Amino acid sequence: MERVIMHIDMNAFFASVEQQSNPALRGKPIAVTGSNQRTVILTASYEARAFGVKTGLTTWEARQKCPGLILVPTNNRLYTHVSSQIMKILLDYTPLVEVFSIDEAFLDISGSVTLFGGLERISYLIKSRIRARFGITCSIGIAPNKLLAKLASEMKKPDGLTIIREEDIPRTLEHMPIGELCGIGRKLAARLALYSIRTCGELGRYPLERLEKRFRLVGEKLHLMGLGIDDSPVVPSEEAEEVKSVGHSMTLKQDIRERVDILRFLLQLSEMVGRRARRYGVWGKTVHLTVRYADFSTIGKQESQPTHINLSDDIYRAAARVLDNLELQQPIRLLGIRLTCLQYQTSQLPLFPEEQARLKLTEAMDRVNNRHGDFTVMFASLLDQESMGSHVISPAWRPEGIRNVAVT
Amino acid sequence: MPLRSSEIRVAVVFGPGMKIRPVWFDLDRRQHTILQITNAWRDKKGDTAFMHFHVTDEGALYELVYNMSDASWKLEQIEVL
Repeated sequence: MERVIMHIDMNAFFASVEQQSNPALRGKPIAVTGSNQRTVILTASYEARAFGVKTGLTTWEARQKCPGLILVPTNNRLYTHVSSQIMKILLDYTPLVEVFSIDEAFLDISGSVTLFGGLERISYLIKSRIRARFGITCSIGIAPNKLLAKLASEMKKPDGLTIIREEDIPRTLEHMPIGELCGIGRKLAARLALYSIRTCGELGRYPLERLEKRFRLVGEKLHLMGLGIDDSPVVPSEEAEEVKSVGHSMTLKQDIRERVDILRFLLQLSEMVGRRARRYGVWGKTVHLTVRYADFSTIGKQESQPTHINLSDDIYRAAARVLDNLELQQPIRLLGIRLTCLQYQTSQLPLFPEEQARLKLTEAMDRVNNRHGDFTVMFASLLDQESMGSHVISPAWRPEGIRNVAVT
Repeated sequence: MPLRSSEIRVAVVFGPGMKIRPVWFDLDRRQHTILQITNAWRDKKGDTAFMHFHVTDEGALYELVYNMSDASWKLEQIEVL
């Protein structure tokens, strides 16, 4: 059976969700910004894009380009909710849905396309349902593999539908700039340009041996990409590889350097990591601390524990020890904690009364926080923290499972 | 997803350039005003060309199909929103 892969990309997702939830914003140039003071444009509506407003601009730069721009602070909880609902709709058309990010998904519709009356009909059904329920348009690409389906969805935006059939592949790729392929970034494209490879056609024709010599392991992969070949399967979440780490990081509102301030954020991060680890029944043997300085240079150090842990205060103590072994060079702008070397089985029950009490206390805190929301019950030293929890939707966010990070 | 396929009465505005805009349709002895056309596309079966319209009223999504040979309309699908 011929493979039929669909890639769905929501158009200006965050901005579209905001415009839908607030009718006063519809048809106007809006930009969604981060929740803190170091904010940049996360995404802009198509009305704002027409003025040159794009992701990554500072709010000042964006306002220079579009004086009437309406800035809307990010509402991550709303976006993850809408994304989860959209992903549920996709499951009506095939069980093989791979959530690629909060606003993108791959569907393997090889087995179901005839059930829904053909490629165009299944595409328009999905587009119509998403538009009717959420007011959001999406671009759909359909091709024999994921690489080309993603390329196809990028070809017509917003609200596009592009189908690349097997016989169209050479013609489509011949003059396509290599940077348009998912997986070829600016640096790699610049390196390929040194060998006069600028289009997919040129990449596909470039001798494989020379590519392998110049690009080592990725040489063969690049060759196949140039030819539009990609055998990677669509992997639904239940078949995805086990998660190898649980982590959180946060960019701080202001750079900090005092140990007491750093520890307060580490405690908050430890609770976020611990809560997620406990919710999904994983324990970790290694605690990794990431520190990013004001100049964006980043260092990381880790410490192995005698046993697997997932209680927040154990994670915190380990992170604090790692911190004390670091010689901090500059004020800190970002902190991150990761629990790695995970084990997915039940930990041994504690023998000693003090340990048992600690476990019971944590379980009680988790129960309250599960019912009433994160940080309803928290460590006293966090009481004066302004805003707690995750404020950023990681690219690894998924609607279900351990990668479903609750965001605020 | 519930499926139905039946002949249906549709009020349409025919505009310049072969533009067709369904305005309301009858279903179960009730007139449904079309609030939004979410998508429209054409296809062909043999020599017969069809225009498909995904439309919404206040509570559901419908697919209306216009047969360009005999100027008839069919309701293909209903999806409660």
